[in-house]
Amino acid sequence: MSAQIEARNVTKQFGDQVALRDFSVDVAPGEIFGLIGPNGAGKTTFLRILTGYWLPTSGDVRVDGTSVVKEPHAVRKRIGYAPEQPKLYSDHRVDSFLRLMAELRGLRGVARQDAVERAIERFDLEEVRTRRIGVLSKGFRQRVSLAQALLHEPALLVIDEPTVGLDPAQQIALRRIIQGLGGDHTVLLCTHQLGEAEACCDRVLLLVGGRPRRIATAQELASGKHLEELFLAETNDSEADA
Amino acid sequence: MSWRIWTLLRKELRSLFSTPIAYVVLTASVSVTAVLFFDHLVRFNRLLFVFHSEGIGAGGFDSGTIPRQLNLLEEVFIPLSQDVSLMLLLVIPLITMRVFAEEKTQGTDELLLTTPLRTWEIGAAKYLVAWSFVALLLAMTALYPAVAVRQAQLGLPHLLALYLGQLGFGIAVASIGLACSSLSRNQVVAAVVAYALSFILYDFHWLSTLVSQPFARVLEEVELQSHLEAFARGVVQLRHGVYFLGIGAIGFTISVGSIELGRAR
Repeated sequence: MSAQIEARNVTKQFGDQVALRDFSVDVAPGEIFGLIGPNGAGKTTFLRILTGYWLPTSGDVRVDGTSVVKEPHAVRKRIGYAPEQPKLYSDHRVDSFLRLMAELRGLRGVARQDAVERAIERFDLEEVRTRRIGVLSKGFRQRVSLAQALLHEPALLVIDEPTVGLDPAQQIALRRIIQGLGGDHTVLLCTHQLGEAEACCDRVLLLVGGRPRRIATAQELASGKHLEELFLAETNDSEADA
Repeated sequence: MSWRIWTLLRKELRSLFSTPIAYVVLTASVSVTAVLFFDHLVRFNRLLFVFHSEGIGAGGFDSGTIPRQLNLLEEVFIPLSQDVSLMLLLVIPLITMRVFAEEKTQGTDELLLTTPLRTWEIGAAKYLVAWSFVALLLAMTALYPAVAVRQAQLGLPHLLALYLGQLGFGIAVASIGLACSSLSRNQVVAAVVAYALSFILYDFHWLSTLVSQPFARVLEEVELQSHLEAFARGVVQLRHGVYFLGIGAIGFTISVGSIELGRAR
């Protein structure tokens, strides 16, 4: 169960500032699609529009043909979202938080309990399941955030900077989890870490100044053509243009 | 009620009682009501004692008789009702200030607004919890007014009328507080604006003397206090209930609208 994304001419303005400019992209079902770019490139802005948290100033994004502008409620049912800097209810215990999120996503009874147990197992949260989220390390909070996003086995998983602040072992573990999600889920991964995008993604889009600059294809990624070179070339071009 | 609202309602209740503020507010309210009740009662007893023991014939009453105005309704019950309403004005913004503002400052609104919850469902859960808290607070302070009603032989309907009025008043004040919380990221700002609006709306009498009749009448109709007084005297009229619920509906609409506007920012 995976979803197709079609973004068409999406623009998002905050006053005079244009965060995203005429952005279009297609993501195929089951694909792990990376978004990279410097700070302020518009990556998080696009994810927030895709998840229905923000409305675009113009343009539209469709998930399996359903518009996030016209039917955000229907789209959100098919999306799991793990935002940057895990935003969780710190007064909840891990298991009760996951139960809450499962219920808010429409899971009840046995289905809810199964989903919570599956998430705890998948993200290795057993040792902290009864701890308050507020006292967890950043690594565990990140895992809880991903676990809540996957509770309802969404067709589309949207992840924003999942490995920021994690130690190398946690980063490797999390990348393996993300790599394992492709195929069954469409994954949109937003990251600053070029190595992470290279390791996890089927295709990677470089965003600069709110505009898509270049898509690195699976062949390019497999041939060892490093994203670092592409990134430097495109961002330098952008600075030269400016 | 939808399953999702119920789930969110439980989460909101948990959040409310996970901080000391709810317990402090409840304990302080019960204590203050008790003190005020006994204060009014002692004052009433002193007056009775004066009339019984000395008589104040020189003041227009026969020795040993008690004037009709000197009764539990006028001396204890109505003043206590006014005190309870002022207490609600003081404590409710402390509860409502965090409800929406805290979600925004902690970023958890992003979590909620990307689940399949509809905006009005989020608003409904938060409003129902705040209104339930008002009901709980009133129930906990019910003992003393109940005793006053019983001693004054006003009957259960009078007590129910009083509490219906206080509940409507509390719902209106809570809705003002929640609307302010939804419009601000800062809890202190939300509380201060809620205090200002509630107190202004509570008493317009001073202003109605400065304007001509049609406007004075409108101000009286908008004033919270005038609608509350009828209930304290045991009068239950639909228009007073509609007034309180109307403020609730306006607050709810502002809160849901501000969430929607936030999406389009």
